[in-house]
Amino acid sequence: MFKLFKTILKTGEATLKYPFAPMPISPGFRGKPEHTPEQCIACAACAIACPANALTMSNDTEAGTRTWQLFLGRCIFCGRCEEVCPTKAIVLSEEFELAVGNKSDLYHKATFKLANCTCCEKPFAPQKEIEYTVDLLKQTGMSAAAVEAKRNLLQTCPDCKRKQSLQVTDKVELTRFMKKGSEA
Amino acid sequence: MSAIAETKVGQHYIDALRQRFPFTVLKEEWQTNEQVTVTIKLGDLPNVVEWLYYNQGGWISVLFANDERSIHGNFAVYYVLSMEAGVKCYVVVRAEVDARTGEFPSVTPKVDACVWGEREIRDMYGLKPVGLPDERRLVLPDDWPETLHPLRKDTMDYRVRPEPTSNVENYKFVNDASGETREIPLGPLHITSDEPGHFRLFVDGEDIVDADYRMFYVHRGMEKLAETRMGYDEVTFLADRVCGICGFAHSVAYATSVENALGIVVPPRAQVIRSIMLEVERLHSHLLNLGLACHFVGFDTGFMQFFRIREKAMTLAEMLTGARKTYGVNLIGGIRRDIQKAERLATQKLLGELKKEVTELVDMLLETPNLTQRTSGIGRLDPEVARNFSPVGPNIRASGFARDTRSDHPFCGYKNYSMPVRTKNTCDVLGRVLIRAEEFFDSIDFIMYSLDNMPNGPLLAEGHVYKPYSFALGFVEAPRGEDIHWSMLGDNQKLYRWRARASTYANWPPLRYMLRGNTISDAPLIVASIDPCYSCTDRVTMIDVRKGKSTTVPYSEIERYGRERKNSPLK
Repeated sequence: MFKLFKTILKTGEATLKYPFAPMPISPGFRGKPEHTPEQCIACAACAIACPANALTMSNDTEAGTRTWQLFLGRCIFCGRCEEVCPTKAIVLSEEFELAVGNKSDLYHKATFKLANCTCCEKPFAPQKEIEYTVDLLKQTGMSAAAVEAKRNLLQTCPDCKRKQSLQVTDKVELTRFMKKGSEA
Repeated sequence: MSAIAETKVGQHYIDALRQRFPFTVLKEEWQTNEQVTVTIKLGDLPNVVEWLYYNQGGWISVLFANDERSIHGNFAVYYVLSMEAGVKCYVVVRAEVDARTGEFPSVTPKVDACVWGEREIRDMYGLKPVGLPDERRLVLPDDWPETLHPLRKDTMDYRVRPEPTSNVENYKFVNDASGETREIPLGPLHITSDEPGHFRLFVDGEDIVDADYRMFYVHRGMEKLAETRMGYDEVTFLADRVCGICGFAHSVAYATSVENALGIVVPPRAQVIRSIMLEVERLHSHLLNLGLACHFVGFDTGFMQFFRIREKAMTLAEMLTGARKTYGVNLIGGIRRDIQKAERLATQKLLGELKKEVTELVDMLLETPNLTQRTSGIGRLDPEVARNFSPVGPNIRASGFARDTRSDHPFCGYKNYSMPVRTKNTCDVLGRVLIRAEEFFDSIDFIMYSLDNMPNGPLLAEGHVYKPYSFALGFVEAPRGEDIHWSMLGDNQKLYRWRARASTYANWPPLRYMLRGNTISDAPLIVASIDPCYSCTDRVTMIDVRKGKSTTVPYSEIERYGRERKNSPLK
């Protein structure tokens, strides 16, 4: 019993001053994901990686926009989004005080403009993602003229690309061997 | 496959099985060199399981059904036996159940440990275990439609919430008492913080004559969710959420099951880090339970002190995993977070402090006369009952059986370390408390050793191939005992079937026998001693069977009575 009192005395006050003093947290703590829209290219890698479906991407083809959305109510703070982000647009901060008075405050949104396909003129990919690819090509040492020539291809949607390549295969004579067989 | 063929452990069990039951084995498949699945004829199921269980030293780990109609037209039932006498391995007995009749012979009359599993198969698949003595529902609520069996592939979407079919609770609590008894319901809210349950104590005066309970009020349908909504590689994050305390154990068990199925070799460094984190989890879990043991015997100062020190274990978890709960660091094939020099040094420092402070506190706890007086001889788990029901963890180790997955089936970083197995022969609450105290220090020693002997190399094995319909077991020794997962992959980057069995699932069935013969004031203590995290109920209704009168008193009253043992609320 005496030992116990000694321990209690030695310990002093164990209660933390939080929330009146900041709470110490360990380095590398995974808290609220912080999104930097300027840095984001809306590639949706984070939305695919998110195991909890807290991160979602939705396209509005009428308005020609893509909306990135984080619902903190579903977030499990695993940091998979941070791992896959190619541009470091999403980083897990050390913030853990996430209580809100209104549920809608748990939603974070960012809207990006979609680029139209040069062929069919329908929106298909975020403009920023295309610009990012163009910049990457420039970084590889490609000449400005060559990059601009590529731009046309980058600005074409997968559907149109498929159609274009079909037109090319149209000219290939597929029945060459069949003819040979019938002739023989 | 050739690597398995050379080093099969436990082949002699199968050979003996073929000899004892000729012509019953239809197929023999090895998942790893210590895991074999034998498909047998359905009619022989009870005899084969009984023979493996009692004659060959097996223990039931888990049993489950699988809707394999889209693969071969039948259902299948799997009985997983952990063989622990002499040669240690897992033998899975599998039998196919005809989809039209849906009947299979119940094993429960021969092996008691199968009772919960077979009741669950009945609920979830609508298969009929013929001869099952207890045909009440286990998992599904009382107001669930009779013909809707959630885990069948063709019944329902995971989002379906059917209309209730009944407004009354029609679950019958079983009372084996011969004389008249009073009935005390504990619950149904929050008997434990992670598993609300409804207890019915049948008492004669102060003595518990019999007890029965209803669980699964918070069944979350995780298995269905994992099978339908998520990719197989995302389930590790869901498996974390199985438990609020030993979540990491579940995600390791899940990841191991997929790794075993796909033949992925996890790099040694990742394995050691996994086991370090498992032990960190054990540290804070055991401190929690030791603290609660203090609380329930009325030594609240000790409770506060244990919880103060436990905070250091939580800091450790936060530092090593980036989250206070050891969540979100596991991946199939390895781990996401390294332990570097700064973290290693900080861990060693914190462990030193923990060791010193907990040693002092445990000494103090054991010197408190109240503890021995309240826990010695209380909540006896008879070794025979233990043998019949296959409980796990400190619960069974206190009844004299040296069952510990870490030494029986070494996994992760335990392969190169001989983990001591702590046992006691007292069979009571005190024994379980002492085992937890001893294991706490073993965990510290293990982490210290592992930090000093950490292998170098990558953290993640990459580039594995998804093999449709492959399956295997994954297992872990969580703080409360063996956690076992069985996964079968589908053909769509998802799971076909996932069965996760938490350790407490194996510890509930024998609890009834542990409660018998004790007094009401010991009930919270006994329930807490199997460590279902926390034992608290919102209210207690007391029914006087003789007068047909019922009164409701707050649970805090029962808990207070449990601690002070004065002014019985029954009078």
